[in-house]
Amino acid sequence: MALPVNDPDYGEAPVPVREELKAAHRFLLEHVRAPGTWWTGEERVAIAAASRGAPNCGLCQARKESLSAGAIGGRHRASGGLREEVVDAVHRIRTDPGRLSKPWFDEVIAGGIAEGPYVEMVGVTALVAGLDYFARALGIPPFPLPAPLPGEPSRYRPAAAKPEGAWVPMITPENAAGPEADLYGEAAIIPNIMRALSLVPSEVRALRRAAETHYVPVEQISDPTVRRALDRPQMELVAARVSALNECFY
Amino acid sequence: MQLSVVTQPGESDGGVPHGARLIAFTDAVQGSDDEAVARERTALRSVVSPEAFVDVCALIASFNVVDRVADATGIPLDPMLYAMSGDIREELQLARFRSAGNTPGAR
Repeated sequence: MALPVNDPDYGEAPVPVREELKAAHRFLLEHVRAPGTWWTGEERVAIAAASRGAPNCGLCQARKESLSAGAIGGRHRASGGLREEVVDAVHRIRTDPGRLSKPWFDEVIAGGIAEGPYVEMVGVTALVAGLDYFARALGIPPFPLPAPLPGEPSRYRPAAAKPEGAWVPMITPENAAGPEADLYGEAAIIPNIMRALSLVPSEVRALRRAAETHYVPVEQISDPTVRRALDRPQMELVAARVSALNECFY
Repeated sequence: MQLSVVTQPGESDGGVPHGARLIAFTDAVQGSDDEAVARERTALRSVVSPEAFVDVCALIASFNVVDRVADATGIPLDPMLYAMSGDIREELQLARFRSAGNTPGAR
């Protein structure tokens, strides 16, 4: 039997971290190491490692400085066991998200990564980026990546996922029924960011947990009176600045 | 909030308490200079509570997640948000971002 994820170590943190965040970090690390919908636990942890290693990849740094990322060839920093096409996609999503494009996505799919595995890969890559940025901001070492759990992917594709204007199929709130009835919670309006990963419902649940603990619950996003220790304008300023630096229109 | 501080930060707080410090710390974390992160962390912690500092760390983490999810899945901006945000998008010149192309009519 695999051991549970070690409690993330906040010992070097200059300030106390609230319990809600600690619990979320444990949940996310457990989520990363568990067999997913299209990838095994071992593959998911390898994707996490590729995400973490991407900022130190020489090829990614050269591409980031280039006017055209696709014009720079070469090999990425090694990531155990993953196909080069997977490593390339993970590294691009981690290091240069603002320059992703529909033609790039089409190329990734044509290269042999199907939509379901792609969406799951996006979820793992992005969640690990978030964990890493939290540690960097707080001033502690990155949380050790967990040992993978054994087991096979479920290969479950929700029938309700359909083309809805994004690159990938999504489930609309009206069609979130049966196994997906819990997907979007009680919010009256579900923004596209919460639908984006719905081809792989477990990634939506993980994203929701991350968002509600690190920002605010989705049903409270539109309420300007909701705040944390920071007031809401301070929260939105930080959020907007991160997104501007990432060149994210959404 | 003076929106210009989001894309053209300077010494101004932009009408937000400790806005300049918040932006300087965010910029450092998003960059690659570890000494700058340490310096700006100390500066920010001198003006906000420990709880608020943790909130800043959590927000930087959260939006590094959602930005990647949004840009890697090609989601368009929600119609209601699009309708409400015209002035903001124009002032911040958000149409220059490549991902604006995922929202019909945004570029």
